[in-house]
Amino acid sequence: MAKILKAKFPEKCIGCELCIFEMQKQLNKMGFEGSTIRVLKKPKENFDGLEYSIVLDPQINKLDIKKIKDICPTQVFSIEDQEDGLIS
Amino acid sequence: MDSLAKKILYIDLNTKSYEVKGETELTEYVGGVGVGLKLFTDYKEKDPIIISVGPLNGFFPYASKTSIILSDGGVIEDIYIGGTLGSRIRFSGLDAIVIMGKCNDKTVLDITNENVSLKESDVDLGTLGLPGMRSILAEDSKGKLLVDRYFTPPERFLERKLKEKNVHALCITGSKTFDLKNKQKYEEIYMNIINRAEEMHVKKSTNPSCSGCPMGCEMSKTGELGGNVLVHSLVACTYAEGIYSDIGVIFSCLNVLGYDYTHEDLEKLPKLIDRLLKEVEA
Repeated sequence: MAKILKAKFPEKCIGCELCIFEMQKQLNKMGFEGSTIRVLKKPKENFDGLEYSIVLDPQINKLDIKKIKDICPTQVFSIEDQEDGLIS
Repeated sequence: MDSLAKKILYIDLNTKSYEVKGETELTEYVGGVGVGLKLFTDYKEKDPIIISVGPLNGFFPYASKTSIILSDGGVIEDIYIGGTLGSRIRFSGLDAIVIMGKCNDKTVLDITNENVSLKESDVDLGTLGLPGMRSILAEDSKGKLLVDRYFTPPERFLERKLKEKNVHALCITGSKTFDLKNKQKYEEIYMNIINRAEEMHVKKSTNPSCSGCPMGCEMSKTGELGGNVLVHSLVACTYAEGIYSDIGVIFSCLNVLGYDYTHEDLEKLPKLIDRLLKEVEA
């Protein structure tokens, strides 16, 4: 069964972008262009800090997703089974 | 990486013009405060704000700040801000931005890689640049200057200088990528550094973090003022001084990125900066 990366706990994200750098390193480059992860930020509703949302392109699952999951210092990601194009 | 020239974006607010130049004579100043002070000295009469990054920004963990040099009432200040600004400048392909002169009206500077667009102050900042690849320096609703709507510069030097120049906000988008020439060695050095988190002078936490830093520390929000010139030439976090004052580590990082600095180049840097400071304060 295919494994896919999921941003299971986006509320834990601190915006360090290490996940982006890890995936780009696997493609032998550094930078944001062409990244299959986007980390977007906005102020929290009470304006006390930032909250992040994480957008994953399915192409990311062609990479070593365990390394991407493991580099995250706050365990935002999980690796789950994919069945018939759906997340189980 | 091209280690022979630093790429500098010069913006003249008086004439609303800009140009990018490759400056080989800046190479010996490495980056950050070194390059910033040299540019400040060269353009002192134009009362510039020099925003610069170092060669490791965007490439190595904890090299996550942005250096700013300006004159506050005749006193030269070097300040350092966190957030995503440094990595956006790095991936714009620039080493420094020199902002000279003054706008007639409140203006927003929208920089994407090497291109600058001057916009009116009522522009919706959310429409500028590319989400996920941009960093915005702007005041919040209470008039406090913030990077990414969270990270603060120290004191109010930068706020005052931007107001003097009629610069209302700054958006920087970096959408360039750089190939890794020696991926295996790069990965080895990268992981070695990231695994030295216990040498950081801050504790891991869950606050918004700077780009490339896994700490999420309680100090991330607060900018830095002055400090170790080698660390600030790399524009690393001051709390990573234990890692980035190690010449061997720095040399390995620079080398794997293709820079041909020698140990001697790095060792003479503090003296070069000291000489610049004396020159600019004379």
